[in-house]
Amino acid sequence: MDKLSREEVLHVAHLARISLTDEEIEKYRRDLKVLMDDIDKIKEVKDFDSEMMYTPINDNTRLREDVVGEMLSAKDVGVNAPKKNGSFIEVPVMINE
Amino acid sequence: MSKYLDLDIRKIHELLVEKKITPLDLVDEALERIEDAKELNAFITINDKVREEASTLGEVDPNNLFFGIPIAIKDNIVTKGLRTTCASHILDNFIPIYDATVVEKIKDKKMLIIGKTNMDEFAMGSTSETSYFGAPLNPLDKTKVTGGSSGGSAAAVAGKLVPLALGSDTGGSIRNPSNYTGIVGLKPTYGRVSRYGLVAYGSSLDQIGPMTRTVYENASLLNILVGEDEKDLTSVNKTKEDFTRLIGEDIKGLRIALPKYFISDIVTKEVKDRVMEVVSYLKEQGALIDIIDMSYLDTAVTIYQVITMAEASSNLARFDGVRYGYRTEDANSVDIMYAKTRSEGFGNEVKKRIMIGSYILSGENAKTYYDKALMIRDDITKEFNRVFKDYDLIIGPVATRVAPLLDTFNDDPHKAFMDDVLVIPVNMAGLPAMSIPIGTNSKGLPIGLHIIGKAFDEAMIYKLASNIEEVF
Repeated sequence: MDKLSREEVLHVAHLARISLTDEEIEKYRRDLKVLMDDIDKIKEVKDFDSEMMYTPINDNTRLREDVVGEMLSAKDVGVNAPKKNGSFIEVPVMINE
Repeated sequence: MSKYLDLDIRKIHELLVEKKITPLDLVDEALERIEDAKELNAFITINDKVREEASTLGEVDPNNLFFGIPIAIKDNIVTKGLRTTCASHILDNFIPIYDATVVEKIKDKKMLIIGKTNMDEFAMGSTSETSYFGAPLNPLDKTKVTGGSSGGSAAAVAGKLVPLALGSDTGGSIRNPSNYTGIVGLKPTYGRVSRYGLVAYGSSLDQIGPMTRTVYENASLLNILVGEDEKDLTSVNKTKEDFTRLIGEDIKGLRIALPKYFISDIVTKEVKDRVMEVVSYLKEQGALIDIIDMSYLDTAVTIYQVITMAEASSNLARFDGVRYGYRTEDANSVDIMYAKTRSEGFGNEVKKRIMIGSYILSGENAKTYYDKALMIRDDITKEFNRVFKDYDLIIGPVATRVAPLLDTFNDDPHKAFMDDVLVIPVNMAGLPAMSIPIGTNSKGLPIGLHIIGKAFDEAMIYKLASNIEEVF
């Protein structure tokens, strides 16, 4: 059976921001190929309309009025953060001197 | 054990009004049943405040049909203060800080949320086996799947643990498990029910809907779920209507289409035979049923895969370990933190779908796959509209066969999608559709009828369903 190359798997994993173990790479070489063959069937559909349907809703341009509404407190918003420092959410260092 | 929960909710309501029972009696009965049926694995989280909430209703006079009735909520619908996991490790400690709009509506009616039901991880699957918490079991045969992705909600209703549940349906996720467990499940028209607080999978397809034991209970529950919502601009403003109003009406002269594809060789004989029995019965009742040709139905699975995987890859980008959910312990840069968090937090099915989805949306691929899928989607929708010029409803089987054994699909990345081949086209067009039980096969496994309505014509579906419910 056809498989993707390691590089192809690592490319899509990078696009999705997912790191993979060697074992997973091997597994996905086959599994992702099956799904890619599935979606490639779309290329066989010849006779189709040219209008794109983003949503079943006819009027999809409706906007809310620009007024201040109910808001969540900073304290509530931070409550699920995995790592906090006071009222800040902590992440690893982004800029190295 | 008391048996109040087996009664029709109109009867339960009567008993509550007459003060013969209290909401706490109902909650205690539900909790006892859930405990006794623990092996079904229908629930991920039980609401540990529900007895307290029920107690506060003890002295209040019931003001509506749903007052004091226990309900189960699918675990991808957020509930303030009550853990909501989407059956994923990445959210297994997540406590929402607000209620979904449907949850607000349920609380307004003083219904009691008993707990959050098991499901496929992020609703990705058709058997509920991709759950981080293990698969729920089919109450009618514990060696079989419940279907998915709303499998826990289906198990909770079919297993008589609660009378009502909410599910969500992106490509059959309400109808498929309703079919496999023999309950009534409706996917409303896209835009009918607010999606605010439903954790997005395929946002242009997702819709919340009721899963119940009877058609009347289903329509009554839909009555309270619907309505335009400022917090979901894809929700639609419609005149208020009573979805129970056509229940029990004569179906003489009703025009029904049965597409050939729905009774083609992809469907097993036992399912097809049962559906044709219903067709004969409906004809006897004076319904006009034609077997018709419909184009594009066989392309729907491919279109569905492209659209949902693309939308999912975008929607699930928010799970990055920064603001909520699981974060890897082991990362010394932000990039590594993202990738490791997502790798450790997501299960296999989710990873596959967002990797393919990211690929679909990258560079020129977006034109080749996503844009083209949206064009064919438009064709499918036009094809439904064409049929609905001449017919009131479309019917067919819900699935090609009865509930399969657990662990059947584990190693086949493709087959899970094919399970929903008959229900997916409906989501493309945003139409309302129901699974209603029409009996069982020789081994007692349920078979359902799929009833598809015109956009915003749920009342017509309930009319036909109520007629079928009386006989089958």
